[in-house]
Amino acid sequence: MDKFTYNDMEFAVAAAGQAWDIVRALPGGASAVVGTGLFPGATATDAAARARALVKAIYPVGVKIVGPDVAHPNMIGGLRIVGPDVTHPNFIYWDKDSVSCPK
Amino acid sequence: MEIKGSVVLVTGGGNGIGEQVVKFFAQRGAKVAVVDMVQKNIDRVVADVKAMGGEAIGVQANVTSEAETAKFVKATVEAFGKLNVTVACAGIIKDGTMLTLDKETGKVARKMGLDKWQPVIDVNLTGTFLTLRDSAEAMVNGGWPGLLVTISSVNKAGQVGQLNYSSTKVADALMPKIIIGEFMMRGIKNIRCVGIAPGYTATPMLTGMNQDALKAILADVHLGRLVEPEEIAKLIGHCVENEAINATTLEITGGLCYEHGIAK
Repeated sequence: MDKFTYNDMEFAVAAAGQAWDIVRALPGGASAVVGTGLFPGATATDAAARARALVKAIYPVGVKIVGPDVAHPNMIGGLRIVGPDVTHPNFIYWDKDSVSCPK
Repeated sequence: MEIKGSVVLVTGGGNGIGEQVVKFFAQRGAKVAVVDMVQKNIDRVVADVKAMGGEAIGVQANVTSEAETAKFVKATVEAFGKLNVTVACAGIIKDGTMLTLDKETGKVARKMGLDKWQPVIDVNLTGTFLTLRDSAEAMVNGGWPGLLVTISSVNKAGQVGQLNYSSTKVADALMPKIIIGEFMMRGIKNIRCVGIAPGYTATPMLTGMNQDALKAILADVHLGRLVEPEEIAKLIGHCVENEAINATTLEITGGLCYEHGIAK
């Protein structure tokens, strides 16, 4: 079993028959299946590399927010909650490791 | 297109109709991406697929965000190497009338606010558009045969109290015609698009409602019961296998009628 930490989350890649499962550790010793029956026939090394790439795709980190999207607030009672403006030309969707995200 | 070996992406796959669509395809040998807003629901459904020996990934995402629709399409292709079927099940309701009158004065006491209108438009219409757009992009660029599925509703006919919801569902019903017209124009021949318009369905929202109100609903259904989510999943499965079904929206209602036996 291969284990790795990504963005403060613990993952394990384990063989399941001819394929591989990725499991995410939850608080209190529990776990959740991120993916099952993946990469059939892959070697352990290949599965570990592909699992890391897949986890980065599922849990992207380091999003640089440019401008609040004031046109589409989420209303909670009278409170306006505004998210990032993903249509802004300078919006950067950062899908690399959080460590390399520019500060 | 064969179900076995195909890759299926389901938004709203964490409960209701979407969950049954996920399980239907997983049981038949498809690889499934379960997309939902609620991580707990995703974890439960992916664990169920694992227990049945299927192949799946779970991706938490909000379909109203361009960054997130791009994310779950990318993750699906990363996991399974292709994408063949996308079922846009994610949907919400926020019912209410456009105007509410004061019983004594007859004047308008309250109007439907954007807090009820906009989220329904964002999830049911914009979310469906973004999901289908990014899925189609991956299918075209990957050269994979595909099927895009919108989930409409029999209430596309116009349900009082659902001005927001019905407006989105009539649009979702129309999308297959427009998308296939565009594909025809662009020479995209191997991707189809269909809409599914369920009637009253046995999701927790309906089965948990006031039983007298439920009885009144069923009085108008020829079948005499709610449509099961599995029956809707089966219809989508049939659409995958039957390539002649294209550019249309199919109703699955159990025979929903107006009073005096006139079919809706």
